[in-house]
Amino acid sequence: MKLTEKNIRATVPRVVRIKFIKVGSLQYISHLDLQRTMARVLARTKIPVWYTEGFNPHIKLVFAVPLAVGVESICEFLDIRITGDISCEEIVERVNAGLTSELRVIEAYYPETRFSDIEAADYIYKIKTVGAGYELADRIKRFLTTPPVMVTRKTKSGERDVDIAQAISRLVVSYSKAEGGIEMTARLPAGSRLSINPALPLDALRSRGLALAGDITKESYSIMRVRLLFADGREFK
Amino acid sequence: MEQKKDIRKLSSVLRSVSKPGRYTGGEFGEVIKEKSNVKARFAFCFPDTYEIGMSNLGMRILYGLLNEQPDIWCERAFTPWVDMEEKLREYNIPLTTLESGDPLGEFDIVGFSLQYELCYTNVLNMLSLANIPLRAADRGEGTPIIIGGGPCTYNPEPLSDFFDCFAIGEGEELIIEFTRLYIEMKESGEYTRASFLRRAAATVGGIYVPSLYEVSYNADGTIREYAPACGAIPPRVRRRVVSDLDAAYFPRRLVMPYIETVHDRIMLEIARGCIRGCRFCQSGMVCRPMRERSPELLCGQARALFEATGYDEISLSSLSVSDYTRLPELTGRLLDWTDEHMVSLSLPSLRVDSFSVELMEKAASVRTSALTFAPEAGTQRLRDVINKNVTEEDILRAAKAAFGFGKTSVKLYFMQGLPTETLEDLDGIAAVARAVVGEYYRSPGRPKGRRPTVTVSVSNFIPKPFTPFQWEAQDSPELLREKQEYLKYKLGDRNIRYQYHDVGTSHVEAVLARGDRRLSAALELACQKGFHFDAWDEHFDYGRWLEVFECAGIDPSFYANREYQPDEVLPWDIIDAGVTKKFLWRERERAYQGKTTLNCRQSCSGCGANRLATGLCRPCGGASETD
Ligand code: SF4
Repeated sequence: MKLTEKNIRATVPRVVRIKFIKVGSLQYISHLDLQRTMARVLARTKIPVWYTEGFNPHIKLVFAVPLAVGVESICEFLDIRITGDISCEEIVERVNAGLTSELRVIEAYYPETRFSDIEAADYIYKIKTVGAGYELADRIKRFLTTPPVMVTRKTKSGERDVDIAQAISRLVVSYSKAEGGIEMTARLPAGSRLSINPALPLDALRSRGLALAGDITKESYSIMRVRLLFADGREFK
Repeated sequence: MEQKKDIRKLSSVLRSVSKPGRYTGGEFGEVIKEKSNVKARFAFCFPDTYEIGMSNLGMRILYGLLNEQPDIWCERAFTPWVDMEEKLREYNIPLTTLESGDPLGEFDIVGFSLQYELCYTNVLNMLSLANIPLRAADRGEGTPIIIGGGPCTYNPEPLSDFFDCFAIGEGEELIIEFTRLYIEMKESGEYTRASFLRRAAATVGGIYVPSLYEVSYNADGTIREYAPACGAIPPRVRRRVVSDLDAAYFPRRLVMPYIETVHDRIMLEIARGCIRGCRFCQSGMVCRPMRERSPELLCGQARALFEATGYDEISLSSLSVSDYTRLPELTGRLLDWTDEHMVSLSLPSLRVDSFSVELMEKAASVRTSALTFAPEAGTQRLRDVINKNVTEEDILRAAKAAFGFGKTSVKLYFMQGLPTETLEDLDGIAAVARAVVGEYYRSPGRPKGRRPTVTVSVSNFIPKPFTPFQWEAQDSPELLREKQEYLKYKLGDRNIRYQYHDVGTSHVEAVLARGDRRLSAALELACQKGFHFDAWDEHFDYGRWLEVFECAGIDPSFYANREYQPDEVLPWDIIDAGVTKKFLWRERERAYQGKTTLNCRQSCSGCGANRLATGLCRPCGGASETD
């Protein structure tokens, strides 16, 4: 057989990176459930994915940084291995036919970077809380940037206290008059070495009585992961 | 614009409960329509968790079927788990559907799937959470019509005060006719709740409107009669059946849950009904006669569903898979493509005979989901009484085959408290279990040094309506407990695991299964006291149930532990399920004589189910006697 780009591609599984959003209802779906969902989506949209060999063949999926339940994202990444000859554009089109508007692929490409180099993530918080205003925005900013701000963090190996003021490497807090709420952008560790749940800064605000400590039918918030970053601050792709 | 719910309203609540994915909807395959384009909005309620409801084949079928109608929008609602219920009550948030997020009270029709008696408290709890008046009599114009369907409607009487109507039998045709009538009467301006219910009872086959029948009682507490309010409604409501399964609606796409459900797979309904006549089995009796789908059609459905869902497992569903006449052909055809697509085939409730052994050998992808056998009774005598045509040799041969495949665990299902049971029959349970263990140690291929696990699961006999044992008394709770103790002692063996069912649960189940309208008082009280999830051991409290019965003036033993008399009017006599009372009585007498009855393929025993539609009963060719 003559070796062409096409038939090499058909025999050697090739890694394709899928960038997708997970918003709205989908923020309540756990990482484990997302894995199962994606495997099924690839099966029903007939993407020629590579199956592991052996007794119980399954699709191999590698996700970048798991997202906590209750957090939305517009920058999730998934690496899949493709065996057939299919273009990245076609992958996007086909997979999206099997998804909904709240779980949607933005692009697919051959990756040049590694997930293990991801170090941090930026999150945008929208907080509707009693007493929202310019002054509250200032107090939140001061509070979250003056160590120590200890909160309890649940990990696989038990509970541990963490200084959230130390963990936040960048913080912008503002008051949006139009939305009548506090808007906050925070950079937190997110990677294979250390990942901080973006709900923790809100736990700190709540326990201090600064925000979200009242009636949960009147107060609400959303958290959106907007980008992943390398150690040097460059945006991950 | 499509009307999709705004999830933000609930966000704070969703973050504070376990498994919030149960409440968000938004799945692939979920149907969203524009409200102004539909003429009837139907809320399909499943009175259990999302994970259980989404696995229900009936729900999959009716959701697809109703939504296929452009002017009907069917949405889903499930029972919120206790943590969610607490939040909804705390913040006064009414129970809503997943699709639009609209409260149940805003719908035209609210339908409940009634799968087992212990879900009744969840039904009432859901109505209460939706702020819909519990009692049908208290509902004004503008409140939805509440309809119930599913297996429990063969004796819906304990629920009859809470439901406007029930759909008896297979729902595919009925539910469309019912909803169409609703739309017509709304459009013509003739609609009032009363006029609609009356017309539905008179013109839509299978619709039972309990408020149109007056029940009177004898001095001894038994029923004197059911009196229809007018001549236009049937004196008995006849169960609907679908004659041609190949022509029946079948969903070609499904709502795909994100969270794991109980049956997260393709379910192929290969047949309805059963040719065997196990005398304790309600499904076997009320789904008669057996009707099959053709392998050609099933393969097409399996293929279509695989393409639409990406599920990697297909399970064949029917009361007795082994009785499907063209099983080898069907599995052969399915295996032709499933292997190649990494899809596995599972065959639950398979009788292990030579064919299935061959099947196991042929395809590694065939998953016989844990090897289970259901001898139901411990001695041949009692198995003959219940008409379970299984012999000890059959069981041992099956076990041998299983062990030959390197399996080390086997599960055996039995029942205690069956009519005519003696201590010998209980001893027999232990004897069968030990014989299976013995079979393992005789098996040459058994893994070295591994012990077998033979699980013996023993449930309590519950007399069910429309079975030959419908008149029987259930053993008293004390006696059932004593029998459990005895079995525990008899089954003491390190290779045997003994599991048994809670006696209190079985007692309440028996009360509800054979209850009449007077039980409504108890159910209402149970709802007021916050009962829910009674099918879940951690939420079932027998002591509190007894208190509720007492407060409501109900003697549970009247319903559970009394032998009903042959000439007594039974609460479910208002329903015609197909099988006649005469046939059931005949079968009961044969049971006491220890005589088995041939299955429908060997010989028609004149059960009466063929009266439901002409040409319905293929096995008997329509020659069955009627009464
Ligand atoms: S009519 Fe005869 S063959 Fe048909 S289901 Fe009844 S007993 Fe079986």
